[in-house]
Amino acid sequence: MKKKAFNILWKAGTVLLAFLLFSSCEKSWLDEEWNTPSSSPTDVPMELLVPTIQVEMGFNLEGNNTVRTTNLWMQQFDGYSRQSFTEMRYQLTPADVNNVWNSIYSGGLMTAKILIEKATANESPHYSGVGKVLTATMLGVFTDLFGDIPYSDALNGQEGNLTPIFDSQQEIYATIQTLLTEAIDELGSSDNAIDLAGDAIYDNDLDAWIAAAWALKARHALQLSKVNGNQAYTDALSYVANAISSNSGDMDVVWDAQDKNPLYQFMVDRGDIRMCETFLNLFAADDPRIAMFFGEDAAGGISGGAPAGENDATSPPGPALASQTSPTTLISYAEVKFIEAEANFRLGNTAPALAAYQEAVAASVNKIVGGDNSSWLDANINNETEATLNLNKIMTQKYLALHGQVQPFNDWRRTGIPALSLVPGAKTTEIPRRFPYSQSEITYNSNTPSGITITQRVWWDQ
Amino acid sequence: MKRFTSLLALFVLAGFQFLQAQSVQITGNVTSTDDGAPLPGVSVVVKGTTIGTVTDFDGNYSLAVPSSSNTLVFSFIGMKTQELAISGQTIINLALEPDIVGLDEVVITAIGIKRAEKALGYSVQTVNTDDIVESGSANVVNAINARTSGVQITSASGEAGAATHVTIRGSASILGNNEPLWVVDGMPINSGQGGGQDDDNATYGNVDGVTASSRSIDLNPDDIESISVLKGGAATALYGLRAANGVIVVTTKKGTTGKALKVDFHTRFGIEKLSQVEPMQRQYAQGNKGQWVGGFQRSFGPNVDTLQYDTTTNPDYKWDPNGMIVGQSNPNANGKPVQTYDQYDFFQTGMVYDNTLSVSAGSEKSTYYFSVSDLEQKGIIPNNKFARTSIRLNAETNLTSKIKVGTNVNYINSRANQIQKGSNISGVMLGLTRTPPTFDNAAGYEFPDGTQRTYRNGVGYDNPYWTANKNFFDEKVNRFIGNTTFSYNITDWINLYYNAGIDWYTRAYKDVFAVYSNQYPDGYDGEYSWTGGKFNGDLLLNLNRDFGDFLKASLTLGHNMYASFGKYLFGDADGLSIIGFYDVSNTTSQTADTYGEYYRTMAVFGDLSLDFMSMLFLDFTGRNDWSTTMPKANKSAFYPSASLGFVLTELPGLKNNNILPFAKIRASWARTANIASPYNTRTLYVPYTTGDGWVTTGVTTPFLGFSGFELSSSLGNPDLKHETMTSTEAGIDLRFYNNRLGLDFGYFYNKNTDLLLDVPIAASSGFQSVYQNAATMESKGIEITLKATPVVVGGFSWNIMANFTKMKNTVLELAPGVEDVFLGGFTVPQMRAVAGQEYGSMFGFDWYRDENGRILVNDDPSDAYPDGYPMPDERLMVPIGNVNPDWLLNITNTFSYKGISLSGLLDIKRGGDQYNGTAFAMNYLGTTERTLTRDVVYTPEGTIDFDKTPAGNIVVFDGVYGHVATDNSPVSSGVSNVTPVVLDESWLTGFGSNFGGGPSWAAIERADWVRLREITLSYSFPKSLLGKTFSNLQIYFTGRNLYLWTPYTGIDPETNLEGNVNSQGFDYFNNPGTKSYNFGLRVSF
Repeated sequence: MKKKAFNILWKAGTVLLAFLLFSSCEKSWLDEEWNTPSSSPTDVPMELLVPTIQVEMGFNLEGNNTVRTTNLWMQQFDGYSRQSFTEMRYQLTPADVNNVWNSIYSGGLMTAKILIEKATANESPHYSGVGKVLTATMLGVFTDLFGDIPYSDALNGQEGNLTPIFDSQQEIYATIQTLLTEAIDELGSSDNAIDLAGDAIYDNDLDAWIAAAWALKARHALQLSKVNGNQAYTDALSYVANAISSNSGDMDVVWDAQDKNPLYQFMVDRGDIRMCETFLNLFAADDPRIAMFFGEDAAGGISGGAPAGENDATSPPGPALASQTSPTTLISYAEVKFIEAEANFRLGNTAPALAAYQEAVAASVNKIVGGDNSSWLDANINNETEATLNLNKIMTQKYLALHGQVQPFNDWRRTGIPALSLVPGAKTTEIPRRFPYSQSEITYNSNTPSGITITQRVWWDQ
Repeated sequence: MKRFTSLLALFVLAGFQFLQAQSVQITGNVTSTDDGAPLPGVSVVVKGTTIGTVTDFDGNYSLAVPSSSNTLVFSFIGMKTQELAISGQTIINLALEPDIVGLDEVVITAIGIKRAEKALGYSVQTVNTDDIVESGSANVVNAINARTSGVQITSASGEAGAATHVTIRGSASILGNNEPLWVVDGMPINSGQGGGQDDDNATYGNVDGVTASSRSIDLNPDDIESISVLKGGAATALYGLRAANGVIVVTTKKGTTGKALKVDFHTRFGIEKLSQVEPMQRQYAQGNKGQWVGGFQRSFGPNVDTLQYDTTTNPDYKWDPNGMIVGQSNPNANGKPVQTYDQYDFFQTGMVYDNTLSVSAGSEKSTYYFSVSDLEQKGIIPNNKFARTSIRLNAETNLTSKIKVGTNVNYINSRANQIQKGSNISGVMLGLTRTPPTFDNAAGYEFPDGTQRTYRNGVGYDNPYWTANKNFFDEKVNRFIGNTTFSYNITDWINLYYNAGIDWYTRAYKDVFAVYSNQYPDGYDGEYSWTGGKFNGDLLLNLNRDFGDFLKASLTLGHNMYASFGKYLFGDADGLSIIGFYDVSNTTSQTADTYGEYYRTMAVFGDLSLDFMSMLFLDFTGRNDWSTTMPKANKSAFYPSASLGFVLTELPGLKNNNILPFAKIRASWARTANIASPYNTRTLYVPYTTGDGWVTTGVTTPFLGFSGFELSSSLGNPDLKHETMTSTEAGIDLRFYNNRLGLDFGYFYNKNTDLLLDVPIAASSGFQSVYQNAATMESKGIEITLKATPVVVGGFSWNIMANFTKMKNTVLELAPGVEDVFLGGFTVPQMRAVAGQEYGSMFGFDWYRDENGRILVNDDPSDAYPDGYPMPDERLMVPIGNVNPDWLLNITNTFSYKGISLSGLLDIKRGGDQYNGTAFAMNYLGTTERTLTRDVVYTPEGTIDFDKTPAGNIVVFDGVYGHVATDNSPVSSGVSNVTPVVLDESWLTGFGSNFGGGPSWAAIERADWVRLREITLSYSFPKSLLGKTFSNLQIYFTGRNLYLWTPYTGIDPETNLEGNVNSQGFDYFNNPGTKSYNFGLRVSF
């Protein structure tokens, strides 16, 4: 009896042992496949890359780390507390720009590079064209803020290149124009395999992309006015002809209740900025845009604080920029018209300059406020004549209209308009003229130019 | 899944198999030859069987012995084991002799192998049941705290359910998990945060939000029989992977063979009080530049003595129930002086109720232990709660004389409500310590229309009462830990053993922000659920052979299979449609997210131990591991160890001497490892999400009607290797004078190579990091343990145990091009790993200094810096502090007289820096007592009147004159500064605070301490008073942290912002610590 029980146990034990030993040795226990996460695809279609780049640009390229900082420096915003107060007094360290630098390179530009490569492999020039317009937009904003930046040697981490060399700003400017020229060509191609999809900006409208590409060409031609002189204006005018021709062609990332505007999120989470009186004082008193750019102040009215005056009782940013659904603008019809106005004015073509100026302001007011606002425009803008128009008016109106973008900082460096004075308690002796390189790039890429201070001038600003 | 079903069946089968056999009842009494006193707890076992019992409180035992048995074995810790022939007797009394050496004590080592402590070639420390049970803490980790050497434990805060961070002998990994492996009854369990990405590798925490509990809190301390702390590589090498951080081996209670039904009841009631906090000023009202400004964020207003309320001008003023604040001379002032409030009144008295009922019994063949426990803890912050219900059944039965099966099953339900803390506008301390003295947070946090009443007129930070009452973080864990064992004695020297178990749990939380919370003005509901677990199976073949007196040998061969798995589902609603209804459906905008992690390992291992004449002990182990997280070519790794114990007192001339009855030297060497975390061998696409460092929410796919993916910003690496730790250890163990004095000295040196890092790279490469073997680190130190019994007189005894630890953990090198690695903290300051620096160094900005390190005091009236003050240097982050202590010392004194025992545990920490970001920020806000230096008297010309200004408010900064050149470099004059300046409002809101641009260096404080960590007074009623019903009745009082001395000015410096993670040493509006008073009753019948 006892022996029988023992035998049964012995057999059971042997079977158990065998099961454990052999099942563990079978391939499946240590199979390679266990090391693939369920939430990560190994490949994705192009239409899932397009919105990623666009949202990255809407949130970060023209987001809190660029627009908020430059609009503080341009005294459109006033930083009354904490880090925004620090930045208001021109303190911006390399660590402060890590976020935007890292997200645009490893998110935006890298994803655009993959998109262009996939499009080329799949014979889909429409995707490639969109990828190039987006790349040129990012390179444009970045080189204007940072000067020399990596591109020709960049984005090759998978090939083992972890420390790309920097291209000069002049080279980047040439690259931008080349990319846009190629994009215009590719977007017009009739030989395209996979139709464009996933486009959160233009709803897959190829003509709109072509117009945006021309507008960007114009922006970056004009930006070289200090370097190229009149050639810059002539070039810009030649590009403007085919560029965005109405507000509906604006390159906007539009936010919604779920994915909220970055400045709105900033105001909810941090809230350390208010509107600046420098900005308010440049508006005509009854400008209808004021109510949209300025929120209600502590007293229920509209006010702007003295720069770096630590006053939090004034108006916060208004609904045009800081509501949940306020769009982030990458380039607009109004800007195209201001480019046209400035270029013509500088070349002495005052009649077309005046027309473009009036159209530019009208486009801005229409976009910000809605409606045609003709009575206010007639009384304040359309009464301007060739004799009364001057560069200061054009650039000031551009500064007002492009509030909420990085461009006013670029224009100010190029034209000195509007005239701004150093804020009280400034940590630098003049208003900054560029961003520092990010701490991570300085630390991990020895090719990063050293000794940069934020009051140094970039190539086109000499 | 099928495997688990069959496992469950095994658990059930292993249940209650009580078999009967012919037996003889033997009774008797056991005493000590020392003083003739009865010895309770002596183990009485029939030789060669597991049939046995223990003596009761009076030293009596009763045991049913099979009629075929010949010999009884009596054993007791500290006494010589004795064997007695039964020879037909039914009453066997015995006096046990004290064992001078006291080292026959058996300790549990790796894979549950029991060894005599004297045989070990490495250091193992044990913590016993009573210390655990009476520690008065919900988390068993706190019972170990300061009871061992080489172990460092930090609680995140004094909150109920607070996270703890444990390291043994420093950190072995840069970015990986540095916490020890927890093994309960042979089953490795999760002790991390319990869910989310990197379940095992909780690398980063959050500087805001809540910190999740450490899941070691799920263990009921009452169920624990003993804890062994395995510190070095040789002790842990048999565990292979993950053993590099040390192992905490927990053994739970079992029933005793042949012991009739025993019921134990333990109840504990405790209260908790706020420990120390940063003192707040109550002299100056809300406002700016001496003027009262209602709703202003700072408290630089007028002196409150000059203020009254105005109830006429604005009778509906809603922010203060007393009315608006005006100066006394204001015509509308109502004559009522302005009140100030103690903001810390917010904290309440915490309470804890802890009850455990256990039943155990054993027949000759089977034993069981069953317990039910319930803990309810209410923290010092309103609505902070932790509760745990635990049910355990441990059963064992001999199926035949050779086969034994056992099962340990533990179900735990833990529930916590955590409160928002840290760098977070809903953080309790953030809202509380910013409140001006004239504002009473308690006077209502909500208006009838549902909006919030805060000192900033509704905006800014949440009223702490609002956070505690309206915002919830409810966490629930349902956990099942169980294992089953099968033991088969094939012959009397060969044993086959299988132990398989699972740790299966779900952790769910609900994270709620009410509508009108400042962080989520439209309300928020987030729901998270993680289901995860671990499977572990160990198959062991044990061979034990005595080759005469000369050599005893044992060999263990083993095979291990291990799987870790888990997945979370997350959904949230930002913007609630119905106020007060918290569900993901209650929104127009939901997001959902999911992530899973799975890996498996397999190993074979062997352990050969040799005992030559009880004098020389040699132990060799080897283990080969395979892991799915490693690339194919590097899947396998081999880890050997060798250790030696040499008992000098067995040598002829030294044997049996009374002064030094025992001396052992030990030495060991081992190599252990860590594997890569899963999914790092390739670069994969990930769902797109972005934020910008300023905002909490950011953007998550799907967005704007599209779904988006991007390539992971972390570059995969197909060439990964294991992290390797080589550890060397040597020590000496001496016992003097009948074991009245014991001294153990140990030295260890660990070198960690090929450490895996997510190495940050330049983003222009298209990626932000690459995972690679990229660092070398070392950790070395000494550990000294002293045990002494200075006095034993009559029934009185005094015992001392002290542990001293001094260690240094240094990063030796990082991969080429990597100058530092971010470990946690803020943008500035942060914790970094830097080659040549200690692991745990904090980096931030410092003042400008000259080449001799003296602070530059500005002498240039034309620049933007104020003259006579130092200037922050923001060019580069430099080392500003180091969280590692210089040394740690804990001393336990225990005095016993008859049934009374008084024990005090003093914990001393010397050195170690902490970032007091709380106080540095409070300077800017004008709320800390430090800002009373603002009181400055001006001359009629508007300059500072140094004669009339209080002397304490005038300083001359220690430094030399200098300034900053246009290229931002320092220029020193070399002349010592003598310029008096004042620490007034503009300084405090300027460089005197982090918000005003002050350097983080200025916020670093020493976090030394001397604390009475634990004091316990207990009384066991003598048997004569108990009668027949009770076998034991004990009452006790335990106080924790009743005394704390520290130069640190903020909250109790045993704190950590991010909880159970590698980054330590940050205090930024952390929730404070507590002191506690516990009363307990233990009764057995």
